[in-house]
Amino acid sequence: MTTPNPTPARRPRREPSEAQLAALLLLPAAALLLGVLLFPMLTTFRDSLYLNKLTEPWLTGFVGLKQYAQMLEDPRFGQALRNTLFFGVMTVGGSFLVGIPMALAAHLPGRTRGLARVALLLPWAMPPVITGLIFAWLFNAQYGVFNDLLVRAGLIDEPLRWLSTPGLSVLAMVVTIVWKTSSFVALIVLGGLQGIPKEMIEAAQVDGATPTQTFFRVILPLLAPSLAVAFIFRTISAVQVFDIPYTFIQQAPAQGLLETLGVYIYRTGIEFLDFGYAATLSVALFALSLAVTAVYVRFVRDGANS
Amino acid sequence: MEEQTHENLSPAQRLGRAAALAALIVGGFFPFIWMLLTSLKTEGELQKFPVQYLPSKLDFSNYARVFSEQPFAQFFFNSLTVSLLSTVLCIAAAVPAAYALARLNLRGRGLLMTAVVAFSMFPVVSLLIPLFRLMRGANLLNTYPALILPYAALSLPIGILTLVAFFSAIPRDLESAAMVDGTTRVGALTRVVLPLSAPGVVTAALLVFVNSWNEFLLALSFNTKLSMRTVSVGVTLYQGEFAFPWPLIAAAVVVATVPLVLLIAIFQKRFVSGLTAGGVKA
Repeated sequence: MTTPNPTPARRPRREPSEAQLAALLLLPAAALLLGVLLFPMLTTFRDSLYLNKLTEPWLTGFVGLKQYAQMLEDPRFGQALRNTLFFGVMTVGGSFLVGIPMALAAHLPGRTRGLARVALLLPWAMPPVITGLIFAWLFNAQYGVFNDLLVRAGLIDEPLRWLSTPGLSVLAMVVTIVWKTSSFVALIVLGGLQGIPKEMIEAAQVDGATPTQTFFRVILPLLAPSLAVAFIFRTISAVQVFDIPYTFIQQAPAQGLLETLGVYIYRTGIEFLDFGYAATLSVALFALSLAVTAVYVRFVRDGANS
Repeated sequence: MEEQTHENLSPAQRLGRAAALAALIVGGFFPFIWMLLTSLKTEGELQKFPVQYLPSKLDFSNYARVFSEQPFAQFFFNSLTVSLLSTVLCIAAAVPAAYALARLNLRGRGLLMTAVVAFSMFPVVSLLIPLFRLMRGANLLNTYPALILPYAALSLPIGILTLVAFFSAIPRDLESAAMVDGTTRVGALTRVVLPLSAPGVVTAALLVFVNSWNEFLLALSFNTKLSMRTVSVGVTLYQGEFAFPWPLIAAAVVVATVPLVLLIAIFQKRFVSGLTAGGVKA
């Protein structure tokens, strides 16, 4: 069907060529992406080169890379970047440590399988802002169930002020994000597990491998492609994390350690009304997402070649 | 899906498996259950320490307050309308595009796929202000399209990627056979490929629906009129005079989460196999 003008005798109406058909089929998607997202994206790049602060409306105009220079010297940007990277490493790592056993548990046969699937999907489907609210409540200093369980277990003597103690608030946010995102890792790993032929596992068992050996020598290597996919999507979403830190900061004011790049961009634009600088920070965050992806693509390509 | 038998397991292994399953189920449900218990408590019961785990009686007054203190039914209707229409729009654009990318001999296919992925990497918070201006310019603030258009566009990349994976998995021979029988290319798409990829379309649709239902930032900023609020913003609107009214917030959270719980309970099998077959994005 690659000839430009196929005219079957039985069909008087002219069929479109493959290229024409493709253009036609791609048109709605292109219109939606270009019409709604491309202009705002380009505007962000443009805005990053202009001063545009509503609180100082007399200061406007093209300043080139000045706001990028300002960003590099901005201690709050440095702090937000460090926080973002720290939360990224902790929560991506945490979601794999929790998500892989979750997938293995959900993969187990049995009558509880349906229930296990719902338990797996629930954190994934939960709105992030609601997850933030729920965990702020679980970590509540006075009435929080986590404090109560820890006291009852004899691990702490006094209730901890999770959200207003800097180190603890960071831990609380890591726990919350890991709870929310482990299911995502588990879902992708589950897909990988379902693709592993049963014979390979049986063969390992026949050869006398223990379950641990089977897991590390047979299952884990076969899961590598799934893990790579999960890793890249998790990393991008971790770098851009906004909703959960946003709700946590509402509950724990003035927590510099909880401010991620996403939250800093939001505050710069919406609270300080500095649209130009918010755009500059946005470009930096986009660049960070791209860098993460580029490293991953390289990693996967090298992995495929070796 | 391979079913393993239970017979060759030692008691210790069975115990380990039961523990793993129990941990998964408790861990997944616990925060939700805790909100449910909290929502049934009175302020007095809440302030006891050590924590009183079960409410002394079933008190549903917090649920009544959810609907009387804020127009929560309206929030619900708004979320449902916005999420459904975003899903329809997104899938209507994603299906033909994914078919073209998976099936037609396209020059620059790799480039197009890269462009699709690149669109999914731009942080939403970065688009907030320019999108706001765009919507204000088009006079769309405080209308459904102000959310439907960006939600459909933002979910489009993941919708396309998921569907490309599904379409690619359908044997080409089936279409060729249909076309040899005299069907047009479009006929082969609608009569052969689409019915076979129904599970993929359902998965992609659920993905878009959940994304749209959960979105917070754009909904918070674009539709500021109370009657145009969505559920995810609505649950944050319950403020006490001095402290957070937790039982009330908990009731709102439960009401907001129940549709999601039902949705995944109904579709859990298809959800898991669909999500694991296609691409997924958190």
